[in-house]
Amino acid sequence: MRSRIPWWLLAPALALVGLLFVLPVAALLAGAFKIDGHLGLAHFTAFFDEPLHTQVYWRTLRIAGLATVVSALVCYPAAMAMVKVPARWRGLLTGLVILPLMVSPIARTYSWIVLLGRNGLANSLLVGSGVFDEPATLLFTEGAVFVGLLQLMMPLMLLSLVSALENLPPDVLAAAQTLGANRWQSFARVVLPLTQEGLIVGGTLVFTGCVTAFITPALLGGPKVLMLETLLYQKVNVASDMAAASVIAVLLLLTTIVVNQVLKRVSR
Amino acid sequence: MKRRRWMACLLLAALAGPAVQAETRSLVLSTYGLNNDLFKKHVYDPFKARCGCEIVLETGNASDRLAKLEARRNNPNVDVVQITDFLALDASNKGLLQAIDYTKLKNLDQVYDFGRDPLRNQQAVAYTVYSVGLVVRTDKPSGAIASWKDLWRPDLKGHLMLANITGNQGLAQLFMVDRAWGGVATDMSTGFTKLGEVKAGTVTYYTQTAQMTALFAQDEAWVAPVGRFGWLNLKKTGKPLKWVVPKEGQVGMMNVMGIVKGSKNADLAHQLIDFWLSKDVQTALANDLADSPINRNTKPNPEAAEALTWGKAQIDSLVFMKPEMVARERAGWVTQWNRMIAK
Repeated sequence: MRSRIPWWLLAPALALVGLLFVLPVAALLAGAFKIDGHLGLAHFTAFFDEPLHTQVYWRTLRIAGLATVVSALVCYPAAMAMVKVPARWRGLLTGLVILPLMVSPIARTYSWIVLLGRNGLANSLLVGSGVFDEPATLLFTEGAVFVGLLQLMMPLMLLSLVSALENLPPDVLAAAQTLGANRWQSFARVVLPLTQEGLIVGGTLVFTGCVTAFITPALLGGPKVLMLETLLYQKVNVASDMAAASVIAVLLLLTTIVVNQVLKRVSR
Repeated sequence: MKRRRWMACLLLAALAGPAVQAETRSLVLSTYGLNNDLFKKHVYDPFKARCGCEIVLETGNASDRLAKLEARRNNPNVDVVQITDFLALDASNKGLLQAIDYTKLKNLDQVYDFGRDPLRNQQAVAYTVYSVGLVVRTDKPSGAIASWKDLWRPDLKGHLMLANITGNQGLAQLFMVDRAWGGVATDMSTGFTKLGEVKAGTVTYYTQTAQMTALFAQDEAWVAPVGRFGWLNLKKTGKPLKWVVPKEGQVGMMNVMGIVKGSKNADLAHQLIDFWLSKDVQTALANDLADSPINRNTKPNPEAAEALTWGKAQIDSLVFMKPEMVARERAGWVTQWNRMIAK
């Protein structure tokens, strides 16, 4: 009798997750494979028969992949610096990093529209410094979506790396250097392997976040820069094409799982 | 054992909670999520007082609400649905609507002719109409625009904003462009070719009215096809803007009301529709800018009249898309549009 108690305690949470998450998601995903009552891949072949859909998929992977790589490159030095500052300052810095996450994504995205606009700060600087003769088209391009997503997701990478670096024993770097490793070697052979968990978590969060973001591609890219999420929205809300929408949902999930596995493999 | 009995009690209590019986009849209205405070004030509350019934709202975007109607076709829980005309036709074609008894609508003869039977099958009545025309900056070359064809002027390049096909304004724009350039086919091939020509010079294809307004406010756009309901907020930007009725006309878009097949409250549904069409309700809604009127006797205050689709100049300029054409062709248009725009 006593051994069942943990299960009773878990039951409400399990029921909640099962009923409100696992079942609906399973039903949604199953919809992608159901054709007139039997199972098959016809929805997938139909989806990829449209060249536009393949283009949209690649565009999504390209932008999300680039944002993941760039955020890792930018955040490693920043995270290493953050763990070196005294603890009370680190709290302030962490607060500042989190601050953009607390701003409504819509407000944040609109501020990018202001910054990247024809009369915005970016164009004033570019024209003022003589890089361009006249304002460039920055808004509603892949570049705008990339910048918007990078700013949105970078804190997740930074926080993952900071927490991984905080767990790094303080002596290992000194030990590596005593044994003759230069700065790059000690980073590549000591810091990187010991903090790879943070990189995997951060990378998965950033990539998943970019692939599933809706507001940023919708507002900064628009219909010209259609991505998987904005396509999904169209399939559901305009075309009422639930089959194609389920296919996109499966693609999103599979892509995330594959990327997470790849990151784990690479780090090994 | 005790524990089990205790849990059974909890379960029973949870089940018994919502089983409170409704005493008065309630009418379920499926509608948009917009301006419901105004509709409550001018329609729902006064109607409730009249009929002694309750009004229950089911709000959401149109395709969600349609999907729900379809899912519950054998046991409908909605009585009256408010939706765009071509989506109402979709619902009607799927057998989700019932015929309206026009003899029960006392106010119908005050409705503009085009709004009385917009689906031409007596299953819907329009309750509002709005125009899709052009909004232009008067201090830029766009100030001279008088025709849909003027959007192709080279001096507008980089300042032209268009509506995306996913919204009603996008459909209206495709239709008028096709028509202005002499297109006759329902595949809109002329319209697509012409809109493809200006793709490079188009700032973006807006999907939301607020986004379109912001882009005017930031000087990104000098001209765009706009639904009349967005005009008031555009004027508030303080930019020198003007509403242009192009010489080829503007598109009239109608939202309609229909009664769901199998509704157990068809009598109340007819009463609500008739009440909604009445001059008093239409005037109150117009004055608060909730909707442009469909009742031809409505006389909104001057400020509202200027912001709405109202008056001879607006109404006479309206050209209507056949709902059966839009219902049939829209999915194909969206695919073709995406291929052209999102490459």
